[in-house]
Amino acid sequence: MDTFIQLTLNGLTLGSVYALIALGYSLVYGILKLLNFAHGDVFMVGTFIGFGAIQLLGGTVNPIVPVWALLLLITLAAMAGCACLGVVIERFAYRPLRDAPRIAPLISALGVSFFIAYSMQLLFGAEPRNYDTFSLNGGALYTNGFDIGNVRVPMIRIITIVAAFVMMILLWLLVTRTRVGTAMRATSHDREAAAMMGIDIDKVIVFAFVLGSALAGAAGVLFALRIPTYATIGFLIGLKGFTAAVIGGIGSIPGAMAGGLVLGFAESYAQGYISTRWSDLLVFVLLILFLVFRPQGILGKADIRKV
Amino acid sequence: MSGGYDDELSRPLEGALEASTSEGPTSPAVGRDEWVARHGDNRTGRTGRSGQLEARLRVVPWWAWLTTFVALFCLVPVASDSGYVRRVAFDIAIYMLLALGLNVVVGWGGLLDLGYIAFFGVGAYAYALLSSDHYGVHLPTFVSIPLVVVIGAIVGFLVGLPSRRLTGDYLAIVTLFFLQLFLTVTTNGDDLFGHNVTGGANGLLNADPLSFFGHELPPTLKGGLFNPAYMYVVLAMFVVVFVALRFVNLSRTGRAWRSLREDSLAAEVMGMPVNALKLMSFAFGAAIAALSGSLVTALSASVFPLSFSFPLLIIIYTMVILGGSGSQPGVVLGAVLIGILLELLRDPGDSRVLFYAAIIVGVVFVYRFSLKLAVIVGGTFVFGLVLHSIAGAVDNAWVNGSGGEGGGVADFAATWVIVPAHLVGWITPVSYISLIALVLTLTLVHGWVRVALLIPVLYLAAFVWENVMIAEPEPTRYIVLGVILIALMIFRPTGLLGEKRVEII
Amino acid sequence: MSEKLLDLQGVSMAFGGLKCVNELDLHVNRGEIVSVIGPNGAGKTTLFNLITGVYQPTGGDIVFDGSSITGLEPHQITRRGIARTFQTLRLFLNMSVRDNVMAAAYGHTKAGVFRSMLRTPGMRREEQEIRELAEKRLAFFGDRLMGYRWDQPAYSLSYANRRRLEIARATATNPTLLLLDEPAAGMNPKETQEITELIELLRTDGGYTILVIEHDMHVVEGISDRVVALDHGIKIAEGTFEEVATSPQVVEAYLGTGGMARK
Repeated sequence: MDTFIQLTLNGLTLGSVYALIALGYSLVYGILKLLNFAHGDVFMVGTFIGFGAIQLLGGTVNPIVPVWALLLLITLAAMAGCACLGVVIERFAYRPLRDAPRIAPLISALGVSFFIAYSMQLLFGAEPRNYDTFSLNGGALYTNGFDIGNVRVPMIRIITIVAAFVMMILLWLLVTRTRVGTAMRATSHDREAAAMMGIDIDKVIVFAFVLGSALAGAAGVLFALRIPTYATIGFLIGLKGFTAAVIGGIGSIPGAMAGGLVLGFAESYAQGYISTRWSDLLVFVLLILFLVFRPQGILGKADIRKV
Repeated sequence: MSGGYDDELSRPLEGALEASTSEGPTSPAVGRDEWVARHGDNRTGRTGRSGQLEARLRVVPWWAWLTTFVALFCLVPVASDSGYVRRVAFDIAIYMLLALGLNVVVGWGGLLDLGYIAFFGVGAYAYALLSSDHYGVHLPTFVSIPLVVVIGAIVGFLVGLPSRRLTGDYLAIVTLFFLQLFLTVTTNGDDLFGHNVTGGANGLLNADPLSFFGHELPPTLKGGLFNPAYMYVVLAMFVVVFVALRFVNLSRTGRAWRSLREDSLAAEVMGMPVNALKLMSFAFGAAIAALSGSLVTALSASVFPLSFSFPLLIIIYTMVILGGSGSQPGVVLGAVLIGILLELLRDPGDSRVLFYAAIIVGVVFVYRFSLKLAVIVGGTFVFGLVLHSIAGAVDNAWVNGSGGEGGGVADFAATWVIVPAHLVGWITPVSYISLIALVLTLTLVHGWVRVALLIPVLYLAAFVWENVMIAEPEPTRYIVLGVILIALMIFRPTGLLGEKRVEII
Repeated sequence: MSEKLLDLQGVSMAFGGLKCVNELDLHVNRGEIVSVIGPNGAGKTTLFNLITGVYQPTGGDIVFDGSSITGLEPHQITRRGIARTFQTLRLFLNMSVRDNVMAAAYGHTKAGVFRSMLRTPGMRREEQEIRELAEKRLAFFGDRLMGYRWDQPAYSLSYANRRRLEIARATATNPTLLLLDEPAAGMNPKETQEITELIELLRTDGGYTILVIEHDMHVVEGISDRVVALDHGIKIAEGTFEEVATSPQVVEAYLGTGGMARK
């Protein structure tokens, strides 16, 4: 039972990070029908910005601001930095290809992904970076918390989960309750019709990249709070994030959240009950099953092939 | 939309005739089709000297090109007795095979197969298992290699199977995941239900070399030098694969591939089994990749999971895209160019020469021989000398870090580019990121503003190359590939030799 | 003229809740030319998509040449002898005119990849036959698609010639039933006259049975043995051109959308 609670907790933490990444894929895919391979690398840049911000704020042993402010600031820094990066990527690598055959922006995206990952390695080396959050307040983030049964739920996990869910709810409100959100939904439904209704498509696309990349930046910080990061981590995490988006139903915002959580739980239980070595295999099988039997995902809508 | 029309003088005429056809209800003396038919010969041809050259080269039959190319390639071990050069020739030959295989999937089948390298790995591991002490199986080459090819095709077929109804993006992600999975399985395959199958991260060792009619082909000659016979074997395989694929492409199967790339629904309705054809291209690619894998293993005698990772995939993709996806000579050219490029970037001296050569060729290519070119070259030269002397006058430590290989180019660079003895930590990221920002800005401005901006950008690029990138060949190689991919997609998606396509109806 | 070549029995098609075709019964006899008319959105093109297997019907059965073809893949249906053209023109634009037609011979040829790699004599003979077939199909259009144009890419053709090429491509699958989706759309009066004669010629010389969707009533009048009118996925009239054209339901369906005025 304790194992189960622990694994559920792990799955929830991991899943909320996957969900944030999946949202970025889904937002862009919904509007541009583009699989943004570089998204995982935007996430990676987010983890590095967080790392740099911690150093600027005096490191974790002796920070110059209170812990809550430190966490808030590094998250905001990563979100802002990644949002800018997302806009640059869209403007220079994808926009020139908007009317090209579909394979062209995909290959460009591969190039961008590769470029970002290895630029990072060039500038900051290949060795892993650890935020060392354990040193904050002498380990308070790990020792404080509450218990379920015999399992300790440490503060750091609570922060990760709560922050991820708050951001998802904010995004949901933004997309359903605001004018720009309505424009986004209209564009994802039918880009040309939306353009004829006077929606500035370029702005909507840029906005989708800003939102998605900012979420990836936040996910990067939340992820790296507990796990060391390195320059080429974006590939695998991006793959998982995209899988989560597919499982949930690509283009659907609640779907991306659901998919992230499903993937997080699946991976966590597989690691706990089967083997840490083979958890990727299970995730892959899950992806294949979904793609074959329910390609529209948990919450997506089936396409009608128009002829 | 096709670039070939750009320098055609008579283009307005076509539009005028087209308009006259659509205006009058009675058909005019000459309609659009008649006009196109009569002027068909100079339709896409370039004018001027390069056009004449192109027209003349077009007359040479494909087999003459192939024979010449292979003959020149065979001369490499004759011309150079360096084990290194010969080994690089072998690697490039393997790249050529891999590019040919990927071209079948991407260029002909139109599928974005991001698991391609996994099939390369499948071939390598299959060969190692079929011809090594690991299981004590030692199949002769004439049995093991065909078997490996069949295994590769079957695995390719199975991976393609669940993807058959998926659109391009989903297929991409499934195959990419398959690559990841292949790495997971091989890395952890030393304990597969209690059996050691793949040797785990330590890989499989002591695979047999190639053997023909009972004669083993040793991978190394006396003194540990690479045995060029292996390069000839790969080259022979390359010729066989090239010709076989060319014949397939000229057959009904090739036509069907082209059709489904143009319009897969129309192809399906015209009686072509689109899914089966796509699967076939997938399996073909996988089989060729597996063949290449077995040849590499036979030479190196060992196989490790990490040899089959994402960067290699991008390398092969860049080759195919650069050469021109869909064109067999194109992808071979791409493989040779990228193969040489990657080797040159390894060495600081070569890397330096390559950089300056690329800059000069690039600027001349864009600006031709014009006033702007003179201003750019002269401006950059003077700009550098001034900066260098100012920096040297302030503190000699700012400029005395240079010196290195590259002959005259290095001597020139030492007097022109600022290379501090010790680089302050923040300079690296700041200069690199400013360079990216400035290059991106360059694409937004035009005319003389661009020329003015280009001068400091070129200097900054030289600074970054000398100070940051030469010293780190590994990431630099991959960064260059990423840039090539993005730039190609934006400026020349057909690659060097790819066929021009019209996307507008 | 009694044997039914194509027989739709109570075929329905619904997208979500919207019924585009509703329990439709329709047949085409061997050697017949049948026209389908109806206002825009009546379900005519959906009907073609159902027959060719692009859509799977949500109800009913489609019988071709004595056996059911419901649930078959489009390429299997083509192999049984049904070929079509597209209203929106879906040529292989970057392929040559000849290759467009040759490609359509895929279904009834058989040289496999291994024979192609070795270029066996059988494979080369078949290739020659495909070439001759394609040239024969193209020659059907007389000097409209003349020899010197066959190596041009299809995108260089004019609109009317693209329509002709689509028909040539469809006939290269060696069909018994030809489905033509608005063959006269976008043509000038002279070309429309030609296409009317051509459809008749396709039956007499080519031996095809033809089901055609057409908006131009002159064409419909000129070619049809029988006319079927659809509206909202339901058959509202059937019979000779005069019977259908004067049917009150048809007049109402067209006047309701203002379609008759255009004629």
